[in-house]
Amino acid sequence: MIVLRFHRELYRGTSLDETVKLFARHATFALREEQDAWVVELSADTPDRERRIAGELGNYALGLTIKAGGAGVDANATAARSANPS
Amino acid sequence: MTQPLVDGFPADLCTVQVDGTSIALHVESNLYPLGALYGAAYIFIDRCYVLLGRPDPTHYRVTLAWKKGAPPEGMLRELAGEFMNELLSCAWRAKINEESRSIIEAVTAQAFAGAMGPPSLDDLEKFDFSEEAFEDPLGIAMSWEEKYGKKKAAQAKDDEAAAKTPDTTAPDAASAEAAKPEAP
Repeated sequence: MIVLRFHRELYRGTSLDETVKLFARHATFALREEQDAWVVELSADTPDRERRIAGELGNYALGLTIKAGGAGVDANATAARSANPS
Repeated sequence: MTQPLVDGFPADLCTVQVDGTSIALHVESNLYPLGALYGAAYIFIDRCYVLLGRPDPTHYRVTLAWKKGAPPEGMLRELAGEFMNELLSCAWRAKINEESRSIIEAVTAQAFAGAMGPPSLDDLEKFDFSEEAFEDPLGIAMSWEEKYGKKKAAQAKDDEAAAKTPDTTAPDAASAEAAKPEAP
């Protein structure tokens, strides 16, 4: 199993959802959210296949995020929030 | 395993982790805007797997992974160098774009204003026609009246004024009368 963490400031959530739906027939996916990242766990038949699918998924999600105009999150606001959680 | 990119390259600005089939770059986020990072990453998508990360608020991490098998000797290092060059190029283009944004917006606004259709009567009434928009040395933009009509009218006025003025060169009628011999 490979675990990929996509930072919320760098990747758009909707782009990741769309990418996982597209790759759903090639591997098994599990999605969850963390405070600053979208986490994707993927399992495939072989480690080589897992690595390839993980790489292609990362590229596709990045491409969709860039085409959508970025992650849509203010990086400075997120940095300030993580520095001062209260 | 962490080592500088090339000899003499500042290690705190960019470090490379050579790990079999991938290489990781740490770049400062206040030197390179996110748009530039996206631009450079998008260019490398077809050559390798690109994964972006944010290890801390002041840095981005870029992982470039070789797509098939083991990479040739030195290829990952070359890839990282090319990526940094591309990142610098994208950052510079982003800065130029930011500086020329106001000009582009002004030109676009003028183009849209021109495409809104003919002006209304109120707009025409307010329009200042006195300002000459361009030079017209050949008189192409002049109206017929300006070019010919007024000139003839002025010429006719001059002729009329000349006709009213007594001709000093002509012999004076009174003196001619006086010079006439008296009748017996």
